[in-house]
Amino acid sequence: MKIAVMQFPGTNCEYECLVSAREVGMAGELFRWNRPAAEMSAFDGFIVPGGWSYADRIRAGAIASKEPVMDALREEAAKGKPIIGICNGFQILVESGLLPGTSGNGKVEMALAQNVMISNKKIVRRGYYVDWVTIRHDASPRRCSGSFDINKGELLQIPIAHGEGNLVTMEKGLIQKLNDEGQVVFRYCDSSGRTIPEFPVNVNGSTENIAGICNPEGNVLGMMPHPERAFFNWQLPPHDPRKHQMGAVGPGRKIFESMKRYIEARA
Amino acid sequence: MSTINLRVWLIIPDAEAATVKNTLIRRMGCGDILADVKKERLFSIDVDSGDPEVLAKAFAKELVNENKESHKVLIDTLSFEGAYVPVKVSLHIEDGEAISTRDRLRNRLGFKNVMSVKKATIWKLYLKGDDKERAAKEIAEGLLINPHKDSYEILSLAEDASLSR
Repeated sequence: MKIAVMQFPGTNCEYECLVSAREVGMAGELFRWNRPAAEMSAFDGFIVPGGWSYADRIRAGAIASKEPVMDALREEAAKGKPIIGICNGFQILVESGLLPGTSGNGKVEMALAQNVMISNKKIVRRGYYVDWVTIRHDASPRRCSGSFDINKGELLQIPIAHGEGNLVTMEKGLIQKLNDEGQVVFRYCDSSGRTIPEFPVNVNGSTENIAGICNPEGNVLGMMPHPERAFFNWQLPPHDPRKHQMGAVGPGRKIFESMKRYIEARA
Repeated sequence: MSTINLRVWLIIPDAEAATVKNTLIRRMGCGDILADVKKERLFSIDVDSGDPEVLAKAFAKELVNENKESHKVLIDTLSFEGAYVPVKVSLHIEDGEAISTRDRLRNRLGFKNVMSVKKATIWKLYLKGDDKERAAKEIAEGLLINPHKDSYEILSLAEDASLSR
């Protein structure tokens, strides 16, 4: 089982993603954007990490989405291989039309716009934001490659770090369709699992608190939070009791374990 | 009411414009229609009183970094010069940066006559071929905007009227 962690100019946390994939038992290597795209077919799954690909020029993910390697990634996605886009990786998958992928023709169906933090119906903050958030898994188990082993309603504490995570769309009925088809995988919520639409629970103003979605087939997942930054318990914040517990693991580990289980189940 | 248009451009190399040009030519097959790309920022500031020329100088002091940028002021008009097609890209969802700029000018710097600020990027497309409007449209829709948050307008040369949306 071999995973490719995509690397564009400006990618970050690719090494953390690689370590996470290896820790759950998947072999992996970095795959630079300018490597022959045909070599991608040798991998069983792909992670598109976060960062600032091409320094977010024009808008986050726009330039990377035009790279030839993305055409190859579309082909691999069509084969049902798992792809997880994290933060900027999610933005790239949206800009390339791989997510939400309901049109089936690569059309860009949504945008991850600049964060707008709203409280009491007033804008209290805008722009880049870093924090630990709680996300609720809203899809059924086995619906999506990156949450294959996560129960519906399960809560995960994972950090975010982004300026453009506000999911918006002009496609009429798209959000309803995503809800109906179980493509909304994660939503921002409070520690009790309530999806309060205002800051600080909804950290970026995203429509219906959406933090992650998958394509109709479920093999492609995009999520704004960074699971690789919550993989080991020592990465957790000081107030989390699991931080110093022997044998405890970070909640982000479940994303990578799910990917592995998904690949095993497909085999 | 006057509208102060502040066109601002880099006098150092513009890496974003270079990346856009490279992507259009090398990745999107626009080499036969595109010769070059340049970029400007545009602030359109509505004021309800005061001498617009004087205000424009004061606003430029705040909004233009003269170490790396140059600018041009146009009052109640917007025109462009040169052999390019200007494509104006702006957010159709709320523009937080424009609101912050207005609040900065009004509340922190005391320009109470500032009524609104609009912000846009002007992509200056140096195009080849006869159907420049069509080429500009293709480029705008293919790369310059995400229609779920951005809108664009192809501005005619040396005019303030738009050719299309």
